[in-house]
Amino acid sequence: MIQASETKINNVPRPSRSAVAGGDGPAAEIARLSAQLADRDAELARLCGQRDAHVRELAAVKSQLEDAGSVLEVRVGAQTRELRKLTENLEKQIKERTRELQSKIEESENSRVALMNMLEDMEDLRRRTEEEKEKTLSIITNFADGLMFFDSNDRLALANSQIELYFGASKEDIKQVIGKRMADFSGIASFKPLAGLLGGALKKVSRKELFLSEKSVLEVSSLEVTGQRGKIGMLVIVHDISREKMVEKMKTEFVSIAAHQLRTPISAIKWTLRMVLDGDLGPITEEQRDFLEKTYKSNERMINLINDLLNVTRIEEGRHLYSLVVASMEELVHSLIGPYSDIAKQKNITINFDGPTEIVPQVKIDVEKMKLVVSNLIENALKYTPAGGGIFVSVGQEGGNAKVMVRDTGMGILEEQKDRIFTKYFRGSNAIRMETEGTGLGLFISKNIVETHGGKIWFVSQEGEGTTFSFVLPPADKGVQ
Amino acid sequence: MKKILLIEDEEIIIKLLGKKLSGIGYEVDLAMDGQEGINKMKESAPDLVLLDIVMPRKGGFEVMAEMKKDSALAKIPVIIISNSGQPLELEKAKKFGAVDWLVKTEFDPKEVVEKIREHLNPAD
Repeated sequence: MIQASETKINNVPRPSRSAVAGGDGPAAEIARLSAQLADRDAELARLCGQRDAHVRELAAVKSQLEDAGSVLEVRVGAQTRELRKLTENLEKQIKERTRELQSKIEESENSRVALMNMLEDMEDLRRRTEEEKEKTLSIITNFADGLMFFDSNDRLALANSQIELYFGASKEDIKQVIGKRMADFSGIASFKPLAGLLGGALKKVSRKELFLSEKSVLEVSSLEVTGQRGKIGMLVIVHDISREKMVEKMKTEFVSIAAHQLRTPISAIKWTLRMVLDGDLGPITEEQRDFLEKTYKSNERMINLINDLLNVTRIEEGRHLYSLVVASMEELVHSLIGPYSDIAKQKNITINFDGPTEIVPQVKIDVEKMKLVVSNLIENALKYTPAGGGIFVSVGQEGGNAKVMVRDTGMGILEEQKDRIFTKYFRGSNAIRMETEGTGLGLFISKNIVETHGGKIWFVSQEGEGTTFSFVLPPADKGVQ
Repeated sequence: MKKILLIEDEEIIIKLLGKKLSGIGYEVDLAMDGQEGINKMKESAPDLVLLDIVMPRKGGFEVMAEMKKDSALAKIPVIIISNSGQPLELEKAKKFGAVDWLVKTEFDPKEVVEKIREHLNPAD
């Protein structure tokens, strides 16, 4: 630009002086040159001004630029610092995290080892528990009896294969009852009888007989299983007693048949003797009569023995209570005293009857069977009381029950034999000495009859002084139905 | 003269009872088993039948069942004489219309005669 202005200066046309001076003399020439110079100075001054303006402009631009630069520089610097700071922070954090991580890694490594140890212990424990469980399970599975275990919520937890066998249950039936309560068992045909016996609430029972069929009789017990923390559940034990029942039944049937078979010839003997004695078959001598009377009595004893045996078989068959009617014990006992007073008189024994002094409740009884009880007690008293003694029969009430007492002044029951007095076929040793005849069945039958009526029988005895047999029967509305 | 039919397979019993009854003035007919008893009943129309339960050919319960079906025989009173005497048998006999049940070991011929009199002359 400066160059250009110089060129321009060189090219500037020279002003004509001639016009000023109007002549070509030296003075004119000088004037003309001076004018030219002045022009040139003016021109120069103008150019200088221009240049200065440019310089100023440039300086301004420069300072502007410089300003911008320094601002930039400040900003960059600040940002750089910030960045550095951030970087530093990050590094610090990374380091911290790394440290943390390392410690965590260490920790977890330690934990892992501990865990592994625990796992090992657990595994050991699990194996042992598993072994124990297996042992218990195999005991249950191979147990000869049927076993069912109900958990603390009374739901079936397990049942062994004997259960399937005894109840004729299929695997499907078992699957259906697992996890169920006893109340839900009645829906499954094979378990219906069991549910009936144990009830919905799974009650505790001891050796209850469950009759499934002629060939299958089970004995069921259910008991609470308790551990250190109390009730764990209920265990139902099922024992097959079909064979025992069959043998028992056969034995009873045999006695029953034998007794019945014996009755035919015995009744023929009885009838023949009676007719001969009654003179229906012609006259007999006194001596013949005497022998025949004795034979007749022996035959009667045989009949009594057979009747006792039949009564026992009926008790064992559980069918000895037949027709229950509401009756008065006073009337029943009173009606029996009469027939025995003749025998008592012959033996020189007094027999007394004391009626009740207060109201005695009526009872619901099988009259024939109850007569058997009272007769047994009176007959025993007659048999074992020596001449000159007495028998006292009374009827009263005790605690709302009807009470019958038969007291004698007989030989009494030996202390050491008292606990066996009601057992089948038992006879006191002193009783055998005094009266050789006897089956040892009378009191056994009596006890069974009284207890089947919901009553109780007992005795008090003093050797050589006498015995009192008593029994009570519940009032009609509370007795057997 | 009242006619009594004795149906009983035990020879001594039937002979003894027959003798006893004819001795006191009854007309007695004897049958040794149930079938013979039914036949004789139809022939002679007895006033009372003494009937055993366990017998060959036809037992006492079968005899009573047949009697019940025949209007002429159904009216004849039947007294059972048996060696047994279980409640269930008694019940069953009562259903068939038997008027009494005597267990042979518990009764003797004299008492049987008393029972017969009781049922032949209820008014006495």
